[in-house]
Amino acid sequence: MRPILKIENVSYRYYDRIPALTDVSIEVGAGDQFAVIGANGSGKSTLLQIMGGLIHPADGTVYFKGDAVSEKALHNKDFLRYFRSSVGYVFQDSDIQLFCPTVLDELLYGPLQLDIKETEALDRAFQVMKMLNIEGLKDRPSYMLSGGEKKRVAIASVLTMNPEVMLFDEPTNGLDPRTQCFLMELLVALNEAGKTIVIATHDLSLVGELRAQVAVLSENHCIEKCGSSHDILKDDALLLKVNLIHEHIHFHGKTAHTHLHSHYLFHQHKGQVD
Amino acid sequence: MINKIPSFLLEKRSSVMTTQSDAAIGSSFVDKGLNYIAAIIKAGYDQWELASQKGLLQKFDPRVKILFLLFFIGLISFKQTIFAESALGAFIFVLAALSKLNIASFYKRVFFLGFFFGFLVALPSSLNIITRGEVIFHVFEFPKAYDFWGYHLPMQVGMTRQGIAGVMMLTLRVSNSVALSLLVISTTPFHDLVKALKVLRVPDVFLLILTLTYKYIFIFAKTVESLYLAKKGRLARRTSGADGRKWVAGRMAFIFRKTQMRCEDVFSAMQARGFSDDVRFYGCRILESRDLVFVSVIGLAGLVVIFL
Repeated sequence: MRPILKIENVSYRYYDRIPALTDVSIEVGAGDQFAVIGANGSGKSTLLQIMGGLIHPADGTVYFKGDAVSEKALHNKDFLRYFRSSVGYVFQDSDIQLFCPTVLDELLYGPLQLDIKETEALDRAFQVMKMLNIEGLKDRPSYMLSGGEKKRVAIASVLTMNPEVMLFDEPTNGLDPRTQCFLMELLVALNEAGKTIVIATHDLSLVGELRAQVAVLSENHCIEKCGSSHDILKDDALLLKVNLIHEHIHFHGKTAHTHLHSHYLFHQHKGQVD
Repeated sequence: MINKIPSFLLEKRSSVMTTQSDAAIGSSFVDKGLNYIAAIIKAGYDQWELASQKGLLQKFDPRVKILFLLFFIGLISFKQTIFAESALGAFIFVLAALSKLNIASFYKRVFFLGFFFGFLVALPSSLNIITRGEVIFHVFEFPKAYDFWGYHLPMQVGMTRQGIAGVMMLTLRVSNSVALSLLVISTTPFHDLVKALKVLRVPDVFLLILTLTYKYIFIFAKTVESLYLAKKGRLARRTSGADGRKWVAGRMAFIFRKTQMRCEDVFSAMQARGFSDDVRFYGCRILESRDLVFVSVIGLAGLVVIFL
């Protein structure tokens, strides 16, 4: 089956100086759950922004359903509209994403951009608000919302465009456990509804819950390994190498225990020293 | 959760892009804004990289460079001959080359500023209407000479030898001053340059404000860059100028709010680390022998220029 998103030998440098990605190639299938994981500064967000056509690689090509997504292609009116309505991007910092006067305006912005009739756009907005339990916030400006509410509104503002692919940058960052749980369920439900979900994260628990296909980025900004979340999460050596887990020593009385440690699955005692 | 998914989200969309017209949209204000912000951030990196290179001037203490700058700006202003100004220009060129600056881009900026603020500003003074003297280049001719309000308009208007010499002097002075300032700025990291201003008895509180401002220009430039990217992510067509201006105004308000909040946070963080109204700014290192050698060399070079 042809991938919905294909990244081929992509390299990117910030301000023509700081390397962010080096020769990265991945494929995301339609309807997949896909996670890009890596330590801070490995290039996860950059890769996601390239997938979303927000920035363009110095080398390599990005394809969406076989069409090259380039700066030139996005200057074509029809392609821009097609691509932006098909691929939605949820930013890590919701404050940055929300720029309309009220929550309702925020939700209507996308559909109205796509020339959807106002009645239908309103219908979509209210349905999404109902799904995300934010109906009570519709007349509020975004700066009067809590972090969790902002995240819901940011997701809602993308959902009203009904994209096929949704890109989430560090979706659980800075959210309380209840909102994290809600978000996890939402991602699964959206995927079951046919959406392709791509996340960039270093939250291994999220990757485990999603049972996603995973691409691991190294600190050298290259793809270290691709595979199922099951295979990746049990590869201690790999996770240690890319700095997603670390070796930890603690004491029980006079006995020192060494184990690999992450804030998710790993707490496997490897050895003990008296 | 799946039961709550709205029906429109379950609709299947057409799988591929079917038709594509040739209708192209030019660069939007978002693209232009992104390029502009990227250029600002890149300029910061350029300055830092250049100042960290292993060139001649990069080796010396910033205080010495500040003194060198002031001394030579004084010399440039006081010298009255084109030869002396040219010699100073040549000296600055040698220093720029030894400091491994990109000479072409360095002099592009120098000549741009020198041309506008030196040559163009002074050019009218070369006419014999302002500077009397021997006309060597005729511009136009009046039917007769005019005298009014104490001014004399000669019949033949043209550029005088003395006027052209004055224009050349001013252009050289401006170019040399700009070149010298750019040379010191390009070869000194900004934070070191600010610290070096202590030798001029600039108050510490002013230096602190300058340092924080410079730092937060780049931090907020990155925030603005993210704002533009977020807008780009939801921009499915070209927006009108009015919509664009509305968005920019809204985002300016957002940045203003964010800077205010950041200002309060930074102040709290400073207080938490012992800040009281008394600003104590970390000073500079002790001057090394190479700095003293540099002081001697520029002193000697200055003396030579004085006697030129």
